[in-house]
Amino acid sequence: MSVVVTPAMLAQVIVSGILAGSLYALVALGLGLIFGVMRVINIAHGPLLMLGAYTTYFLTTRLNMNPFLTVPVAMAALFVVGVLLQRGLVDRVVDAPELSSLLLTFGISIALVNLAQLAFTSDLRAVEYITGAWVLGGLAFSKPRVIAFVFAAGVTALSFLLLKFTRLGKAIRATSQSREVAMVCGVDVGRIHMLTFGLGAALAAAGGALLAVIVAIQPEMGGVWTFKSFLVIVLGGAGNYPGALVGGLLLGLVEQLASLFLTTQLSEVVAYVLLVLVLLVRPSGLLGGRQT
Amino acid sequence: MKRVVAAATLLLLAALAAYPVFGTGYGVRSMQQIFMWIALAGSWNLISGLTGYVSFGHVAFFGAGAYAGAILVAGAGWPWPLAALAGGAAATVLAVVIGYPCLRLKGPYFAIAMLGLNEVLRALVSYFEGLTGGGNGLSLPTLDASVPIYYVMGVLAVAVTAMAWLIVTSRFGLRLMTIREDEVAAEAMGIDTFHHKLAALLLSAVGPGVAGALMARDQGYIEPVSVFPLAITVTMIVMALFGGKGTVFGPVLGAVVLFVAQEIVWASYPYFHPLLFGAIIVAVVLLMPRGVLGLLQQRYRLPRTI
Repeated sequence: MSVVVTPAMLAQVIVSGILAGSLYALVALGLGLIFGVMRVINIAHGPLLMLGAYTTYFLTTRLNMNPFLTVPVAMAALFVVGVLLQRGLVDRVVDAPELSSLLLTFGISIALVNLAQLAFTSDLRAVEYITGAWVLGGLAFSKPRVIAFVFAAGVTALSFLLLKFTRLGKAIRATSQSREVAMVCGVDVGRIHMLTFGLGAALAAAGGALLAVIVAIQPEMGGVWTFKSFLVIVLGGAGNYPGALVGGLLLGLVEQLASLFLTTQLSEVVAYVLLVLVLLVRPSGLLGGRQT
Repeated sequence: MKRVVAAATLLLLAALAAYPVFGTGYGVRSMQQIFMWIALAGSWNLISGLTGYVSFGHVAFFGAGAYAGAILVAGAGWPWPLAALAGGAAATVLAVVIGYPCLRLKGPYFAIAMLGLNEVLRALVSYFEGLTGGGNGLSLPTLDASVPIYYVMGVLAVAVTAMAWLIVTSRFGLRLMTIREDEVAAEAMGIDTFHHKLAALLLSAVGPGVAGALMARDQGYIEPVSVFPLAITVTMIVMALFGGKGTVFGPVLGAVVLFVAQEIVWASYPYFHPLLFGAIIVAVVLLMPRGVLGLLQQRYRLPRTI
């Protein structure tokens, strides 16, 4: 099989890669925040994204809301879910060996997916809002993906402003650098853990709400997002928040580039090979992260 | 005391060996399933229970074994016992491919890599249609071997449990548990942590590989959905956690109790059953991290090596 790659095709790949990558970066930032602050890999991150997508689905079909206006609602709802999960369950294993938090969030993830199956059935759902593409200079810009990109970029930018300039953001960054020192400086670490988990869940929900107009919604849609978010964190370097942006865009580009040569069936395999290669060659991430 | 235990064990094994003579077809099939779950939960325990490195994708070894076995039986005409061994070998090779990059590092890398492995294998199996039949699945020539498979599965369950006992009572096992308790300290003591973790992973991949190939022969037909479901991983994790991770007989206890409960009680509520498994994982991690056997060990001062 030989494929001739023209410059136009390459440009299209870059466009599609950036559009897809913005969502990866948004969702992975949530996983990265929780990991940075609590050293907990939240396996339930993907299922939280799925709940965000269902929130949008029900708000648009039952209340006729504009799907993009449901993004803040889904974020607020999942923020509450995240805070409750952290307070009720995850908080008890923050200091336990890694095995406990991995297994606990894995259990939560199984429970959430199956609850969704009971409550919403496994039927595929779709939010029909806007379809088609804008064509500019021979390049196709899928309309829902462009709007999702704008929202994803907006939410990500707001998150960075929050982290950079607010007292809360400073406290979150301090806790992730050193919990003990943050505590000595008067940061209420328990509260920061709770808010960070809520924020992480809200970012996953934003991703889910935006995906709702792009892909089919079903209870198991989140599974692959836990994995891909983690891959983005590894690419960018764990503990390095701007790294999530680089990692997300890179994953989007690599996946789109691979789709030129391989069937879409193998896109999961591409992401996986990428993870294994980075772990072999540069485990601290492309930008270099903090060693743990 | 030791003699009583030994006599009881021999009696139990003899009864299990004689069972297919008078048991019903359903009974034999159910016992064979219990053996399979003992082998799967016990194998998961070897890597995750002993070293603390959680595998969220052990079904990948099961599925790899199933496909290797089925392809050799259906395509190359191998006898099934030989194909079962090849299934174990295939799973071991896969374990090297995954373990080598992911276990060199401390931390959650291995857990997440295993989480994604399942989907990758499913995609690969669907892609290489010529070899695997793709989404249409793979049919094996008809053969009723349920009684011989009962015995082989039983031997597998005993072998995995015996291996766990040998490891737990050996210096190798002590080193694995040192890695679990404190990997940095283990390294400082001169333990080659990477190769120990890798060895534990290889040993834990063999059982699922063989079990997968046996299951493929027994069912006579496999497809990606039937040999790579997340539910198999979840079930083996639940069984090992419930019985007691890091113990020798915990996975056996968990497999027997949960399988029987599943058949008797939950079969009437098939939709609630995966939800229940998620809830059991959460409850065991928070309330009973050592599992039932760990609790008994603590309360009645039973030896650590059971």
